[in-house]
Amino acid sequence: MTKTAPLTIFLAIVASACSRDAGTGGARDSSAARSNVAGSAAPVVAGAAAASPHIGPAGEWQMPAGDYANSRYSELAQITPANVRNLRAAWTFSTGVLRGHEGQPLVTGNTMYVVTPYPNVSYALDLAAEGQPLKWKARPENAQAAVGLACCDVVNRGAAFADGRIFYNLLDGHTVAIEAATGKLLWRTQMGSLAKGETMTMAPIVVKGKVIVGSSGGEMGVRGWIAALDAVSGRQLWKAFNIGPDADIKAGARFRHYYATDSSPNQGATSWPSTTWQQGGATVWGWISYDPALDLIYHGTSNPGPWNGAQRPGDNKWSASIIARDVNTGEMAWAFQPTPHDVWDYDAVNENILVDLPIGGRTRKALVHFDRNGFAYTMDRATGEVILAKAYVPMNWSTGVDLKTGRPVLDTAKIPYRGKKVTNICPSLEGGKNQQPAAFSPVTGLFYVPTNNLCMDFEARDVAYLPGTPYIGGNAPETGGPGGYRGEFMAWDATTGRKVWGIKEPYPVWGGALATKGGVVFYGTLDGWFKAVDARTGAVLWKFKVGSGVVGNPIAYTGPDGKEYVAVYSGIGGDMGLLIAGDVASNLPYDVRERGSTLPDISRWTSWGGMLFVFGL
Amino acid sequence: MRRIVPLALMLCLHTEACADSSAQEARTQGAQAAAPARPGDSTGRFVSHVQHIQPGGVPMPRGMALRNPYEGNAAAVATGAKLYVAYNCIDCHGADGSGAMGPSLADGRWHFGGTAPEVYESIFQGRPDGMPAWGSLLSSDQVWALVTYVRSLERGKNVTTENFSGATVERTGH
Repeated sequence: MTKTAPLTIFLAIVASACSRDAGTGGARDSSAARSNVAGSAAPVVAGAAAASPHIGPAGEWQMPAGDYANSRYSELAQITPANVRNLRAAWTFSTGVLRGHEGQPLVTGNTMYVVTPYPNVSYALDLAAEGQPLKWKARPENAQAAVGLACCDVVNRGAAFADGRIFYNLLDGHTVAIEAATGKLLWRTQMGSLAKGETMTMAPIVVKGKVIVGSSGGEMGVRGWIAALDAVSGRQLWKAFNIGPDADIKAGARFRHYYATDSSPNQGATSWPSTTWQQGGATVWGWISYDPALDLIYHGTSNPGPWNGAQRPGDNKWSASIIARDVNTGEMAWAFQPTPHDVWDYDAVNENILVDLPIGGRTRKALVHFDRNGFAYTMDRATGEVILAKAYVPMNWSTGVDLKTGRPVLDTAKIPYRGKKVTNICPSLEGGKNQQPAAFSPVTGLFYVPTNNLCMDFEARDVAYLPGTPYIGGNAPETGGPGGYRGEFMAWDATTGRKVWGIKEPYPVWGGALATKGGVVFYGTLDGWFKAVDARTGAVLWKFKVGSGVVGNPIAYTGPDGKEYVAVYSGIGGDMGLLIAGDVASNLPYDVRERGSTLPDISRWTSWGGMLFVFGL
Repeated sequence: MRRIVPLALMLCLHTEACADSSAQEARTQGAQAAAPARPGDSTGRFVSHVQHIQPGGVPMPRGMALRNPYEGNAAAVATGAKLYVAYNCIDCHGADGSGAMGPSLADGRWHFGGTAPEVYESIFQGRPDGMPAWGSLLSSDQVWALVTYVRSLERGKNVTTENFSGATVERTGH
């Protein structure tokens, strides 16, 4: 994620772009739609429902997104717009680790489980005892060399709980299972190879006794894969690559193409020159969802490698794609590539939220995906058909999606090519949204989306493949996007593809969203505010300044006292905190960086620091 | 697969630089010199006053230190800059060494020492947080060219203070 530093370009607009309303939390835009919904008890989108229920009791949080649909919706309703102003910090916990605290806690019974960034320590906190003492602390072996192979900070996006076990990935390419009651390491399976540049950062999900995991390393010339492990033994049940011949990517009898252009055999290899697919990226570092009725899992794949597209002419399937697979076998059911021949680092790993939506007079089994490329896709999750695709952030690389082919219509002036520097491409390589997951509320029928508003210049160059080193071939310095703000937290109607309301933020909103039945939506900001918002109106009802910038995702749970609590990690980092923000670290006397040109004064508002915050009424 | 083969870059640089063998010899002798010369005190401890041993406090004996044959050599800086791109250093340490996946090389601060021999050893041996050991792939000449280049980046960029009270952030060094 290399960047040059055009500081001078930026200094002129810093003063206006960073006017912060004296800390009022950013200005809401004056969307006309907002007045239509304010004060109404009816859903904005009636008849919308998640494809699968919350897992476990309503007061627990057992899977990364709370359910298989990835809705990040809690049925708890004690905290409401009327009383949220009384929310206060209940207790906190320092993880002892710095760097980016992406991901979210889990809660089962009276225990909370958290996993830290590298070295991926896991803690079990006793919620029933005063002071929340540890039940256990586990530190699986985790090779230090992994630190230098992770492209975008040493993050971990959390664990999954099933059948008395906690499952998570280690940065060095292992998946571990830990006995939830005792902290005992049950198994530790090597899935990735550091020598090839493979690391693991994603949060597993567990479906029918299978732990679904995927690789990171799309900037290192790896060949991305997804796999299922037996939850009891740790044995690999299946593994599917996302690029290469049909047999390797498990595109066989079950594969159904929706678009005619996706019909040829072995396109995971033939859409690449020679054997370049062997270093082609397409990793699975984002979120995984599952539809129990269709028995399919859904995952995205990362950018193709290297960034320099001149070294890989062709569509580069199935990089930058959304893929549906049979959870039992890994067989591909369908695949769709939002960004064919990606040359902007527009990974398609963002979450796929499975919701049944009323569209065109009937209920569609939909998949809603806010892609890095700036389009929000509402798709048919059974077939891979794009029902609609609309821009949700300022963008200029494409003028729209052709629904006959599913392909974006390109502005050829925005295509980076070796030796030619292309300026002002929007969104930047961070995407309109990145890892920060959106939430869906059946109460309003709306999606709550943390977004970025950044643009970039892009200069590609040839790069040699050296195993275990970056395979990138491009510089892409970023600046704030149009409008004088760099992020926006918005409510989105996926049946029409329109923004209902938005809260503009001075920095990219790099933390995830939580929707609750009580009608309050929560999110955190890069400059360290944790905010509660009215789900219908977008009014900021409450906020609290946490210890460090938020790149993690809030959850809600019921404490042993029967009260609703909301928990979130603070701890700036990840791609935004480590590479883009610039000099926010203070614990590395040997690494004093230049001030980031993208977020030039973020270090005024926050420093590194990993801490859990828990709030209650 | 298109690959860049940057070997040609080094051909113009063959002069009197240390060969790999002499670098190895210097390290071996250095290790011997650092070992305790005395058998210990009367209590039988092998090392006395271990609490007073600070890393980096003992200079290499004269004549044993690695010496950069290209110190201040502009041509070596230019060659090092090309190698910095060709061997993907740029994508870990950032354009102009500004820092990315790996630490900044342009801040005048060094985790494992910033003298030419220390930087040589960091490149040659690798370092624990994922810095590869390039000694098996690069010639000694190439490593010295990289040393010369990355050490050229730090001038004027060592910043101590950020002051946020003004309209723009003032950064001052020493």
